[in-house]
Amino acid sequence: MASYRNPELRDRLAAEYVLGTLVGRARARFQSLMRYDPGLRRVVAEWEARLTPLAHAGKEIAPPDSVWRAINRRVRRAARRTGWWESLAFWRTFAVTSAAFVVALGVAIGLMPRPEPPISTVAVMSDSGGKPAMVVAWPPMKAMRDPHIRVKIVQDHPTMAPTTSWELWLLPGGKAAPVSLGQVSLDEVQVMKLPKAVTAKMQGAWGMALSVEPAGGSPTGAPTGPIIFQGECVRIL
Amino acid sequence: MSTPSSPDALAERLAGLLGQCALGNQRAFADLYALTSAKLFGVALRILRRQDWAEEVLQECYVNIWNHAGDYAAARSAPLTWMTSIVRNRSLDWLRRPQSETTGEEYEIAVEAWQDQAPGPLERLAAAGEAAQLARCLEQLEAKQRQSIVLAFFHGLSHAELSGHMKEPLGTVKTWVRRGLERLKTCLSGT
Repeated sequence: MASYRNPELRDRLAAEYVLGTLVGRARARFQSLMRYDPGLRRVVAEWEARLTPLAHAGKEIAPPDSVWRAINRRVRRAARRTGWWESLAFWRTFAVTSAAFVVALGVAIGLMPRPEPPISTVAVMSDSGGKPAMVVAWPPMKAMRDPHIRVKIVQDHPTMAPTTSWELWLLPGGKAAPVSLGQVSLDEVQVMKLPKAVTAKMQGAWGMALSVEPAGGSPTGAPTGPIIFQGECVRIL
Repeated sequence: MSTPSSPDALAERLAGLLGQCALGNQRAFADLYALTSAKLFGVALRILRRQDWAEEVLQECYVNIWNHAGDYAAARSAPLTWMTSIVRNRSLDWLRRPQSETTGEEYEIAVEAWQDQAPGPLERLAAAGEAAQLARCLEQLEAKQRQSIVLAFFHGLSHAELSGHMKEPLGTVKTWVRRGLERLKTCLSGT
């Protein structure tokens, strides 16, 4: 395992992975290393950027229409199956069934000790399988003397790989870049103080995302690892 | 829907469409498909060499792209690079499944096309603006290095398959690939 730390070897393996000549068990092992090694993913991304133009040096070949019909069917079916937890349309149009609304409110209230200003916004973040994994909730920023958000991990068995950290991101929406809100631990309920610069952005936020980063957080100020949980912000008050 | 003329305009358009897909905009997804499916189907078909497999893989990949469009922001790659890598990786995994030993004859690999100094696809690459530097650097490689790298990348050949196609020992082919990649990296970072 130690040999995977050798930068030259890492570069060579990344190059052969992208080229496609890393096969069988070596390829599978490399893929599992990549999952928890943002640095390795960066090296791979660099090789992808170098070589990908070659993939398009050949002719474009239009796929038959049946392929689009099949894709479209699957996407529509998935959209219908999507639960209310992650359905943006559901929240935005406010077609809230009373049962769902009570659940959301229950989650919010469970996060909140009494004497605080009431929670006004909730983001229910789902994992890649669409299951709720984390809930972030906060009162109106102006109502708090020391602005903070509450984070609750609702995933059954949350795990964080060694030498990685979890970083929470505010997604301002549109083309604006994600804004770091800081690192999250595995504690079930956490309170995160917000820097002044961020509080103004909380009001219009459309979503929250959690990425896996190297220990100590993203080295660049932008998410570098995979987004493992995400969800939209919903105003409930 | 008009097709963006320059690679930069295309990249910007695709990034916008991916953002819309992350929000669940199915019309944006249809536009994304219209702009990219012929490129990506070509990529899958060259690696898989079977129409039915390529169709299956393309279908899976677009469903994946739809489901993970939100992850694109974190990938920090050009959108077409991100999408192409999804298709290439799925194609390679598909090709190397234990049950897909036989390769179809539907798509002929033009080994010879890559042998001389100025082959067709390399010329297309050189004409493609942002890819011109890659074309220049590929041309600077020794012919065997270039041929093995291009065959591996373009058609998904493993070291063993390269060795068979090029009728050279496995170790020799591996060395060409490794040295070629090293030189390519040096050349690409040099200018």
